[in-house]
Amino acid sequence: MIMRLIKKLRSNRLLIGPAVLFGVAILAFSVLSLTQSTAKAQEALVSTNPNDIAAGAVLYSEHCQSCHGYEGEGGVVSGAPSLVDKGAAAANFYLTTGRMPLNAANNEAIRHHSIFTSAQIRQLDAYINALPQITGKGGSGPTIPTVEPLCQNQGTLAAQSAQGCVTLSEGQQLFSINCAACHQAAGSGNILSNGNVIPSLNNATLTQVAEAPLVGPKPMPIFTELTNAQISAIAQYVTYLHHASNPGGFAIGRIGPVAEGFVAILGGFCLLWFAARMIGNRG
Amino acid sequence: MSTTEERIAAQKRLRATRAGTDTIDERLGSSKFLTSVLDKIFPDHWSFMVGEIAMDSLIVLIITGIYLALFYVPSSKEVVYAPTSGHVYIPLVGQKMSEAYQSVINISFNVRFGLIMRQAHHWAALIFLAAVFFHMARIFFTGAFRKPREINWIIGLLLWQIVALEGFTGYSLPDDLLSGTGLRVIYSIIESIPFVGTWLVYALWGGRFPGTSLIPRLFVVHEFLFPLLIIGLLTAHLMILWHQKHTDFPGPGKTETNIRGSRIWPQYALKAGGLMMLVSSVIFLLAGFVQINPVWIYGPYQPYTVSAGAQPDWYLGWQDGAVRLWPHWEFRSFGHEIANPFFPGLLLPGILLGIMFAWPWIDKKIYKDYRAHNLLDRPRDKPFRTGVGAAAVTLFSLLTMASGTDIIANNLHVSYEAIVVALDYLVIIGPVVAFIIAYKACQRLQEVDFHPIQRPVGGVIYRTPDGGYHTVGDVHHGPSHDVPADAGASHGSGEHGSGEHGSGGAGRDSEKSVPAPSAGD
Repeated sequence: MIMRLIKKLRSNRLLIGPAVLFGVAILAFSVLSLTQSTAKAQEALVSTNPNDIAAGAVLYSEHCQSCHGYEGEGGVVSGAPSLVDKGAAAANFYLTTGRMPLNAANNEAIRHHSIFTSAQIRQLDAYINALPQITGKGGSGPTIPTVEPLCQNQGTLAAQSAQGCVTLSEGQQLFSINCAACHQAAGSGNILSNGNVIPSLNNATLTQVAEAPLVGPKPMPIFTELTNAQISAIAQYVTYLHHASNPGGFAIGRIGPVAEGFVAILGGFCLLWFAARMIGNRG
Repeated sequence: MSTTEERIAAQKRLRATRAGTDTIDERLGSSKFLTSVLDKIFPDHWSFMVGEIAMDSLIVLIITGIYLALFYVPSSKEVVYAPTSGHVYIPLVGQKMSEAYQSVINISFNVRFGLIMRQAHHWAALIFLAAVFFHMARIFFTGAFRKPREINWIIGLLLWQIVALEGFTGYSLPDDLLSGTGLRVIYSIIESIPFVGTWLVYALWGGRFPGTSLIPRLFVVHEFLFPLLIIGLLTAHLMILWHQKHTDFPGPGKTETNIRGSRIWPQYALKAGGLMMLVSSVIFLLAGFVQINPVWIYGPYQPYTVSAGAQPDWYLGWQDGAVRLWPHWEFRSFGHEIANPFFPGLLLPGILLGIMFAWPWIDKKIYKDYRAHNLLDRPRDKPFRTGVGAAAVTLFSLLTMASGTDIIANNLHVSYEAIVVALDYLVIIGPVVAFIIAYKACQRLQEVDFHPIQRPVGGVIYRTPDGGYHTVGDVHHGPSHDVPADAGASHGSGEHGSGEHGSGGAGRDSEKSVPAPSAGD
């Protein structure tokens, strides 16, 4: 039976082309995805290659020196901090989120499109990371964290105690305790006093979320008490929120009752008001 | 002119109705009552239907609420959210939560029609309150609360308050992060009542915050006490309306003792039924397409967690806004402190509500008018009352806005302090300005009797006994030879119709307002 089917397929030459193509595609896809994932894993680490550090130094002198000083000592303009002990995590966070470089020293460091390519950011990270050795002062700052992967079968209780991986449940709890008070429960951001904007986390990448509690971008504090596993759980949860299982229709910004009130009054009640006008007498 | 066919059709309809009432009458002897009910006349103005939007939303609320109550578990017992059969919201697996919150998650993810019923229930509540506010404003601005309808005004205000509290208890039942934050705020506000606050709050919560007795108690209140009160008061509201008959705007043929409009059967019943279907369809369209209160994202409430951007539902926003704007005053004497939330949270709403409850009698004093009225005032004819209403609407709107200070500041990229300071001033100045503008606008409208952009073209054409014509009051033509001298004096002063409303327009029968072509303009 099966043999006959294979024979039949063999005789049908039309199928050979697509089958070969399909096989090649699968092969290419798996090779690419494997190499890409290794490339990604490498990118999360900080380069200690002297060439990268030298290239980073050039970029630094072009884009950063005018405020942060000749070798990252800071204070050229008021408010520009020393970068010596900030570590690669800070450099990577500020550069990938486009917060740095600022157009003017008194601008607020908010999320922008990054002006650097990822290769350039890698070189700058390497340079900032090497600053304690170059200058010979200051302890080394946090390095770019490696985010732990999500556990398999998270729907089971057993997965909640698995080692070497993190769960969304853990992330949700840590997020409510540590982050929701400012970033809002759905990560849609808010505002503090003195013009301090709490950014929405809707565009934050895994690494950026993991870096933020280590770096403490103003006015956010540095969360020294969080372990790497906990930070990973938060990062995984925040990126999960971007595509959360979120039924019920348009999320209207996920900012809660204010948006809901607007929709109810302008979308719901006003429609019915017009309906009443159509039905009733408009004399 | 009705044709013969139409007349025959009308007779057929009547016979069909009779047959229906006869069937019932033979069993219950209720024909006389039913015919009088079905023949009752209701005035047709559209603004009278907004109260019906509220009633229809209430019906949707009751139906969806019954469905939700079948699956909701009013318990604060701590459980661990574990995958059972069906859908699971993965970020909550293994978390400790109250049974109440777990049941709401199950309603949202596992119960058939659960999520759409929950969303419809919530949207209906928001629309319900919007209709209540509009209805209340309509009653106020047209003077419909005047004698003999003061009792219904008071019942209406009570309904508004109970409905708002009912909404708040519903907002609190899911026991998610947002509702827990709301309860914490209310706890503090009740606690701030001088002398009795701490005892009262202990009695209500059955101990310290958050405790385990509140959720079951809230359920009883949300499910039995308030709905019972709402339905009872609404019945009284409608029976009084039925007994006193509906008010109407003054107009041709309308007097204090008659009613013009449509019969309940079939015209008004069809209109009301159509509106009801529209109300439920709009609510369910919103429920199907727009997400409301995603409790699974907010997570279970833990007393040590809080979310930024926590607001009450919009209809309680004005009270929340008052709390946000109030200066940090504290009063301490005789070893007692009157805590800050008391003033904006209870005293200010209390004073405002007190004025609203007393308004029918204040209004009597102001206008020295103690008579009964069945014809409504046009808002422009009572500038002071309209001004007060405009001031109140402005104050409520600004306070409601103040409830979203953080959201507004964040989305408009304005500093938070600027919004708070601006609103602090605006809640004082805004109502005064609104009063003045409304007052002046009413006076001006009284003078011209038309909306400025609707100024009519043409004038009044008189026909003289000998067959000649002349035009009076046409501001678009200069004085012409056929206008009598006395009429010419009123040119441009917009004399037409002024002082005639309320008199039933009887004097207008001999006049006809004729629009003239405005080609020259």
